[in-house]
Amino acid sequence: MSATDAQAPSRMRFRPGYLALALGAVVVAVLPLLFTTRYSTNLLILGAAMSIGTLGLVVVLGYAGQISLAQAAFYGIGAYAVALGTTRWDINWWLALLLGLIAATVAGAVLGMATLKLGGHYLAMVTICFQVIFTLVLTNWVAVTGGPDGISNIKRPPFFIPLNSAQRYAWFALAALLLVGALVWWLRDTVLGRSMRAVRENEIAAEALGVNTPRVKVIAFTLSAVIGALGGAIYASGYLYISPDTFNFDHAVAFFAMVLVGGTESVLGAILGASLLTFLPEWLRELKKIYLVIYGCVIILVIVFMPEGLWGYAKLLGRRFARVVPLPAALRPVQVGGRGAPGEEILRVEKLTKRFGGLVAVDEVDLVVRRGEAHALIGPNGSGKTTCINLLSGLYVPTSGRIRFLNQDIGGQRPSRIAVSGMARSFQNLRLFRELSVWENVLVGAHRGGGHEAETRTRALAAIEFVGLSDKAHEISRSLPYGHQKLVELARAIAGEPELLLLDEPGAGLNQTEKQELVRLLKRLNEMGLTILIVEHDMSLVSKVASVATVLNFGEKIAEGTVDEVLRHPAVVEAYLGNREVALGV
Amino acid sequence: MGDGGLSMLGQFLFAGLAIGSVYALVALGFVMIFRATNVVNFSQGEFAMLGAYAMVTLWQGAKLDYFAAMALALLIMAAFGLLFELTIYYPLRNRSFLPVIIATIGASIMFQNGALAVFGPSPEKLRPVVDTAGGTGGINLGGVFFDYQYLVILLVTVVLIGLQYLFFEYTLLGKKMQATSQDKDMASLLGIPVGIMIALTFIYSSVLGGLSGMLVAPIFFVTHKMGATLGLKAFAATICGGFGDPRGAILGGLLLGVIESLGAAYISVIYKDAFSFLVLIIFLLVRPQGMFGEKVSEKA
Amino acid sequence: MFEVRDVHVAYGAVTALRGISLEVREKEIVCLLGANGAGKSTTLRTVSGLLHPLKGEVLLDGKPIHGLSAVTIARRGISHVPEGRRVFPGLTVRENLVLGTSNRPNVRREEMEADMARMFKLFPDLGRLKSVLGWTLSGGQQQMLAIARGLMARPQILLMDEPSLGLAPILVQEVFRVIKEINTSGTTILLVEQNASMALAISHRGYVMETGRIVLQGTAQELLQNPQVRDAYLGGGKDA
Repeated sequence: MSATDAQAPSRMRFRPGYLALALGAVVVAVLPLLFTTRYSTNLLILGAAMSIGTLGLVVVLGYAGQISLAQAAFYGIGAYAVALGTTRWDINWWLALLLGLIAATVAGAVLGMATLKLGGHYLAMVTICFQVIFTLVLTNWVAVTGGPDGISNIKRPPFFIPLNSAQRYAWFALAALLLVGALVWWLRDTVLGRSMRAVRENEIAAEALGVNTPRVKVIAFTLSAVIGALGGAIYASGYLYISPDTFNFDHAVAFFAMVLVGGTESVLGAILGASLLTFLPEWLRELKKIYLVIYGCVIILVIVFMPEGLWGYAKLLGRRFARVVPLPAALRPVQVGGRGAPGEEILRVEKLTKRFGGLVAVDEVDLVVRRGEAHALIGPNGSGKTTCINLLSGLYVPTSGRIRFLNQDIGGQRPSRIAVSGMARSFQNLRLFRELSVWENVLVGAHRGGGHEAETRTRALAAIEFVGLSDKAHEISRSLPYGHQKLVELARAIAGEPELLLLDEPGAGLNQTEKQELVRLLKRLNEMGLTILIVEHDMSLVSKVASVATVLNFGEKIAEGTVDEVLRHPAVVEAYLGNREVALGV
Repeated sequence: MGDGGLSMLGQFLFAGLAIGSVYALVALGFVMIFRATNVVNFSQGEFAMLGAYAMVTLWQGAKLDYFAAMALALLIMAAFGLLFELTIYYPLRNRSFLPVIIATIGASIMFQNGALAVFGPSPEKLRPVVDTAGGTGGINLGGVFFDYQYLVILLVTVVLIGLQYLFFEYTLLGKKMQATSQDKDMASLLGIPVGIMIALTFIYSSVLGGLSGMLVAPIFFVTHKMGATLGLKAFAATICGGFGDPRGAILGGLLLGVIESLGAAYISVIYKDAFSFLVLIIFLLVRPQGMFGEKVSEKA
Repeated sequence: MFEVRDVHVAYGAVTALRGISLEVREKEIVCLLGANGAGKSTTLRTVSGLLHPLKGEVLLDGKPIHGLSAVTIARRGISHVPEGRRVFPGLTVRENLVLGTSNRPNVRREEMEADMARMFKLFPDLGRLKSVLGWTLSGGQQQMLAIARGLMARPQILLMDEPSLGLAPILVQEVFRVIKEINTSGTTILLVEQNASMALAISHRGYVMETGRIVLQGTAQELLQNPQVRDAYLGGGKDA
């Protein structure tokens, strides 16, 4: 993540990018001249095609965190599209490419949708199935694909200059790689790119910030498929002959190894990994026999010792030398609270109930929160407070009862939809996007407001400044001390300028000084018009921040009123401390 | 369907059950590791392949007695399981599932291609357990030919599952291993040596895998690739049966074996391998928790 | 009998214990009180070896145990009944109890049976449910089982984490009655509880924790009458 990323005028942001692009163009121009034999030039073409294929994995695995072991299948779709197009169907190469990309789009979207409800190993399994079935069809549907014999005499694409030599085609392939590389690199810091990375880091938190996670995942798969197909097309017209062998599970794993070795999130890393694993077996002839053994070994070693890949190492070194560029000042202070009359109901909960099997976690709870209130929800351990917050923010679906937010029934809605309508939340056990910087965390929070990138940045800047973390903005969030991490989560929640903020034990784990700072920030937010619903155990914090309190015990509401009243209420005292008479009778 | 048709059906069913048993054995080893450690071992199929090659080396290469070779090969697989646990599971035991899956995929590639490098690409043949002059022998019953090797596979599977059941239900060690797989931390609080329990699990799974490889080898050829499809199908079997449930592994394996056999016979032999995956896809889309499993969902 | 000296424990970036010192003498019931998040469970987990302190020591009969694994510490006679009961869901009541003896190698059959008979006497409900699987038991029954399982280890010291959590009041009484009885039979107990009244009613001494520190200590009598205990849960006026 470049340290210069956050400079507010967006046009300045691309300067290092433009430089890299120019450098890349130079490399593209020069590289084929260095490879003199036909054989080595072909290798260069192979490296370029594989790199493009690997870039697809950077999007779906590196950015979005979804395992795809089907990349060779998408690569194959592109390859077979141009192969069949230029031989059997006799159509223009570019048209054939387009058809291949469309097929890949459909396949990628279908695969993405099939895996939505699954995660982890299920996901991996479905992608493997897809890959294996694809290879089976390729090998056996002889009528269409030519079967194990493959397809030969594939043509090269018509271009401004005829691509009739290997060297010229190498230029073409490298130019394509540069283009795709630039696009994937650019994608990283867009709303979509950041959303993907948020989904990878913490899906639940991303949802709660308004990211439509299923859509993001499907888009990620689709993009990886399209990019993979492009790589395959380049390969096919480079080597002029393809056979099903090249598009099997082993090669899907090879792509995987390449992206791992290079560093899953990095464009340059992917190219590095792909090149390395393409050229290495050629350079070390004796090892050609066992190069797949080495692949396997390398995968394990990288995972155990170098999970960030080669590029990760480079980044680590780079970080030592990077200058920390401070964030510019925010253009305006943070705005929260929305427009509406103070005192009007913004949240109305009626007979809210949640059952988990036989356990009633929340039992017919009624709650009203008015605009401008700081409302506490308290109760002993296990009383259902966090369950309530999860119900309100959409993480759980109510068993029965109604939740009305801003005059809309939201019970059962997706968390992202509820977030977009103006509700933000923090989490009891902190759900930061750990590998993202403070700045990126808060940026994702600011997405909710919509509008141009510049507006999103303005909101994020304001939020970071509000919590006082401007000078730490580019640090990786997991490296911050705990108190600061909690502030990041707060900044992230308010960056979207919500109307209602739900806080789940914001004081947990903080020391006295940090709690004082938290109280100060929350009171200011409340004064600025933000309605707050806070779950807390620290009563002194509660009494300083909140004006109204609702008390739960065993899932039921047992008291409500001002904080002082409630803390003196005998039922509340008993709920927390136990019944003295009963105790003495033991 | 005339009498010929019925006995054909019987034939295919029998073959399907036998192959299904092999899938079930591999799947069982897979599920054991998963239950104990939450690790999805993508190289489980390779255990079968390695067992088969161990057998080939000892019996053909070292010219040992068939059953002595088998016993020794199983011992080798046990040692291998321990080695696997120490080098691949242990360094990654606290990491999230993604690195572990990837590492086992890497292991799978390493084993497959290592076998290729050591043993070469030409397939090896292993003698069946019951050696009759002139190839495979068997019993003819009611028009159905019951191949001895298939019978051996079914017998071994039944006996093994029975023994395993007895072990886990009636021995203290079995209970300790169950406890470890149900709640590792609580088990350690009680003084159960969790590290040893996990090592034993890997050893057992490796032996199970190796045994299934040795049993299926005489039917097909022994190649470096044999573990790949076996592993994938076993994995499919556990998902269809209900991920993490041993009963599911067994039933899923049998189901897939039968579907595959019938599909190959009556629909298309070319796409035989695809049937298992189609069944898997159907399960994943319609009932991802499988036959015995609970709802698959992410915890909030 | 055992002592915690100036222990500091962190979970990653969070400092959970900031210099805790306490001691538990033989045959005592000592309770550890405080609001949620105060660090009570963390303290127990440090004693039983699930966590290791950054600084400070845990001493059992004068010998340091804070670097040992949970399995080793269990074998030294410390039995931890953690929060949330954690009965093995797929094993029966009987099997759960048998596994409670895992801290001693080679337990003779007769010994185990005798211990189990004693458990069934202490918890008559469990006797009825010998062959029932753990996951089907009710919350109260699971709690009884967890305690009985902890006792099967014949521990020197029993660590109990929020035994009353989630239980209906009448069951809470029952649980505390049993805890008192266990102590009378000679087991030393360190009890973590949110329900201060109940805990203090049966304890000899107590400590009150707040955000990782011990803020009050004394005999149970003293603490029962001390209004600051209430403040620790329901409003610390002193931290401004």
